[in-house]
Amino acid sequence: MRVKIKLKHFVRWAALLIALPALLLAVVPRAASAATASSGNGWVRLAHLSPNTPAVDVYLYSFGDSTAELVLHHVAYGTVSSYQALAAGDYTVAMRAAGAAATTKPALSATVDVAAGGAYTIAGLGPESGLRLQVLQDKLTTPPGQVLVRIVQASLQQSKVSVTWNGQPTVSGLKLGGVSSYETVSPGTASLDVTGESESSNSTITLAAGTVHTLVVLDGSKGLVIDNLLDAAGSGTPPVGGAATGFGGTAPRVPSALPWLCVIGVGALIAAAGGIGLRRRPRPTA
Amino acid sequence: MQFRKQAAFVVVAAGLVVAGAGGAGLALTRHPVAPHYPAATVLPAPTGPIEAVPQRQSVKVSLPVSLTIPSIGVQTSLVHLGLTATGALQVPPTTAVAGWYTGSPPPGAVGSAVIAGHIDSVAGPGVFYRLSSLHAGDRVYVRRADGSLAVFRVTVIHSYLKTAFPTADVYGPVPDAELRLITCGGTFDYATGHYVSNTVVYAVETS
Repeated sequence: MRVKIKLKHFVRWAALLIALPALLLAVVPRAASAATASSGNGWVRLAHLSPNTPAVDVYLYSFGDSTAELVLHHVAYGTVSSYQALAAGDYTVAMRAAGAAATTKPALSATVDVAAGGAYTIAGLGPESGLRLQVLQDKLTTPPGQVLVRIVQASLQQSKVSVTWNGQPTVSGLKLGGVSSYETVSPGTASLDVTGESESSNSTITLAAGTVHTLVVLDGSKGLVIDNLLDAAGSGTPPVGGAATGFGGTAPRVPSALPWLCVIGVGALIAAAGGIGLRRRPRPTA
Repeated sequence: MQFRKQAAFVVVAAGLVVAGAGGAGLALTRHPVAPHYPAATVLPAPTGPIEAVPQRQSVKVSLPVSLTIPSIGVQTSLVHLGLTATGALQVPPTTAVAGWYTGSPPPGAVGSAVIAGHIDSVAGPGVFYRLSSLHAGDRVYVRRADGSLAVFRVTVIHSYLKTAFPTADVYGPVPDAELRLITCGGTFDYATGHYVSNTVVYAVETS
């Protein structure tokens, strides 16, 4: 599906294009998680969460490189890519109307400073008239045995939504395009209620300890739909300390002294025998 | 007479030389020596349907049943590991098999899956004896109960003192499908009967 881009859209996008990268660089903190040890990489995923914006092609460039590292074609509303591992550094994400040539000026772009061990969601958010490309910092650590949950409001039908987890208000009055901070909840199976002005959604979801989730509120064909994204997962109850995985059978050890002690003993016996021979008086001759 | 005396002298001298050689041998072998074992047999890569790296984050994957690391000749079934009474990682009941920590995500699902195995028994090599000789880029295969394979690429190998074990790095959440292989390493403390370090191999799922 090709999208005709109106002139006024271009003007708006151009203004955003100039303002956004600077704004985003200032806003997004550079925070490295513990996962740095596993590699020098960070992670980026791309999402189209603007309800009335047509499908787009999303390009990811290493900063200053005109050849895209990753291109996702025809990304429609509600689509979230898997995480892409990237070497730490600066990257530019550009959105073009689906099918537009890679050489055309992007409709929107954003710059992300990927830290080693950092994870980011770069999402087109808000209504088409106020579309923005936002870099979200994704958390990669949970309080021990707990779950982190964040809500993204991507429903155009409901201008505000409130979320309760197991009857407990978690997020309230989240506006279209809004992203809540991560909230800590208890793991397990519980009911998730999302309430807008005219529609609501009730579902039962299971969240495991040690996991981080983003719940996206989308407009479905029959009301609100909740997309449960797993941002990250680890051991719900991390084992304490190291692992006792060895008994020492192959460890370097000092060899037994016994063979050498035997040699010394034999030598001593020989010397003693010789000594006896020396001291013994010769037998008198008849 | 003279001959007899001379012979006795020679015997004493020879005895002292032998004893001296024994003493020298003893003195020169008082440092620890690592035992040698035959080199690993490189195994063929297992065959079977290779599961794609999860694109959809909440995909349920089937539980792991066996592990193959062709480059270091590891082929083992996987037992299930929990925690000990003190909250430490349970270890496999024998040194010949590795185990998956059931509190970690299953290998091939989003998250940091954990598999542990012994480096040795009291008598000789265990299933993960050669883990520290893996290199970045080596492949690790986990077969799941449904017959599918998850394939991982080794990224880095670290050795940590157990007293400074990086719990968050090894067990903490990650946004892609990763694997941690854990065994012992470093110096063996004969007083406590434990190695002082752990070797951890980090790997990411590849297709």
